[in-house]
Amino acid sequence: MKKLFAVLLAAAMLWGLAACGAPEKAEFSLFAMDTYMTLVAYGDEASDALTESARAINDLEQRLSRTREGSEIRAVNHSGRAAIDSETAALLTEALVFSAETDGAFDITVAPLVDLWAINSDSPHIPSQAEIDALLPLIGCDHVTVDGSAVTLDVGCAIDLGGIAKGYASDVVAEIFAEHGIKSGTVSLGGNVYVCGKRPDGKPWNVAVQDPQGDGYACMLSLTDTFAVTSGGYQRYFTAEDGTVYQHIIDPATGYPARSDLLSVTVVCPSGTRADAYSTALYVMGEEAAIRFWESQQAGDHAFEAVFVTADGRIACTPGLADQFVPQEDASYEVQLLNR
Amino acid sequence: MKFSVKKLALCAVLAALALGLSTLENLFPVSLIVPLPGVKLGLANIVTVFALYELGAPEALAILVTRCLLGGLFSGTATALLFSLLGGLCAMGVMILLKRSRRLSVYGVSVGGAAAHNAGQILAAMITLGNTMVVGYLPFLLAVALITGTLTGFVVSLLLRATAHLHLTNQSDYR
Amino acid sequence: MKSNSSTVKTRPTPWDALVFAAVAALAVLTALVFYGPKARTNAPLTCVVSVGGEVMDHVPLASFAGEHTYSHNGYTLTVRVSGGQVEVLHSDCPGQDCVHSGPISRAGQSLVCLPAQVVIHLESGTDGPDVIVG
Repeated sequence: MKKLFAVLLAAAMLWGLAACGAPEKAEFSLFAMDTYMTLVAYGDEASDALTESARAINDLEQRLSRTREGSEIRAVNHSGRAAIDSETAALLTEALVFSAETDGAFDITVAPLVDLWAINSDSPHIPSQAEIDALLPLIGCDHVTVDGSAVTLDVGCAIDLGGIAKGYASDVVAEIFAEHGIKSGTVSLGGNVYVCGKRPDGKPWNVAVQDPQGDGYACMLSLTDTFAVTSGGYQRYFTAEDGTVYQHIIDPATGYPARSDLLSVTVVCPSGTRADAYSTALYVMGEEAAIRFWESQQAGDHAFEAVFVTADGRIACTPGLADQFVPQEDASYEVQLLNR
Repeated sequence: MKFSVKKLALCAVLAALALGLSTLENLFPVSLIVPLPGVKLGLANIVTVFALYELGAPEALAILVTRCLLGGLFSGTATALLFSLLGGLCAMGVMILLKRSRRLSVYGVSVGGAAAHNAGQILAAMITLGNTMVVGYLPFLLAVALITGTLTGFVVSLLLRATAHLHLTNQSDYR
Repeated sequence: MKSNSSTVKTRPTPWDALVFAAVAALAVLTALVFYGPKARTNAPLTCVVSVGGEVMDHVPLASFAGEHTYSHNGYTLTVRVSGGQVEVLHSDCPGQDCVHSGPISRAGQSLVCLPAQVVIHLESGTDGPDVIVG
């Protein structure tokens, strides 16, 4: 009988011991770039990596913000020409490439329209067609010239990196994680997710895609070492007095908030910046054009995977995500696998 | 089943004793170890085991059901009734089976009964909470059953030896 | 039924040890099933709160910090999540068992309030999401 108790006791102690030997976990949350960010890292240098990441994010915000005093982007918008950091120049160049690729569906020069509508502000404004028409000629990436370490803007134009700043920040955090030998972690920068390696238990990370129509999840993706970004009009919008809902993503082609047949687009690819730009562009394009764009990018270096949540109640998933896709039983969507 | 007056009186006394014991149990809240409300040590099992040996299965069952119903009435909650009834009936069933083996002593029977009692309580928790996760407490409750079962066996063995000369069940007396 | 106490075994026999061992083995077995493999993983915990049999919250523990209240059957529970621990801070249920249970912090542990039918369960996040995008 004593032996049995000894065995039981030993077993109990073993379970306790099993909890030890785990890699150090660090967690950090901050408000930056107009959103709530949560960073989790496992590793010996986890807390160093997070501190450095937080500092880098704040630095980026200071440089890339359109409103912050002393920011490079503000200087460019203000004077039409300004010297910028080589890193910012590279990001701007990349943004212009995204604009060209997506035929202007993603466009950093949409800033004047964003200001006109002011949808994220306290006093949104429904402009007249004349007001919009007056601004439309100022939109387009041909108004921006990046020349080495200087940027030139045409008169009246303005740029806004809000569509890629968070994505770029997640790329920067990923680099910092790598420098600190972090093999496992998650970074959530308000709709921009980076999953580093696998979970500490060796399984892929479960990334839930928010249900645009409820507080649950539309689906779950099992991801390792990649970026996932969701864009949609369901979180930031305002309702006019006549009941019309204006969501915050402006279609650069029409000057109006995008009237998409998509509720949300989630792009999964190995670059946070690209995932951020593409998810916005695909949302603006609408389902048909978005799928065509996805097909056209399949062959090149910029291939990506995506999950589309459509307004008519479907979830369309690209075939590359088929094995990672976990449907949610309680979500009322019809799941559809796209053909390559 | 025929109950002599003496047997009836004995059953009533034992039922009252069991009720007292189950009230006494509340002084030892198992929920401090196992955070499952409604779970009890099973001290009242002493009476069940004793009755099973001294009076027989039907009488023990009658005492058990009486104790559970009255206990449920006193506490006023249907869930408490479910916990004690399911636990008690499981224990009773297992003990009747184990007692058939002539090789087992009171100890073996009561340890088996205590284990079944606690498993029955988990079953009751699953039913009332609609949550199967509570099965996770089974190992703790089984470990507790080893102790309470042995304790019950010890008490009942003392009782049986002490009452051996009383001929409690000499049914010809007051027929 | 008549029993003769002289034939009743009141002293432990070797066969009793068999019953004892069987129960102990069952305890170890169920413990291994429920805590063995899970306890060895260091996966982030997920806090699952079900009220009246329905799952109300299914959230990674790490992002569930703060105080949460749940009401059911006329009782209200205040649950505090902090430092990887979950505890029932306050409840107006009669038994107060849920409050007395203290904090839980490991996979497989639960807090239960029977009167309010609230079950708070920690599981290693195999099913729940680690991070939400959107």
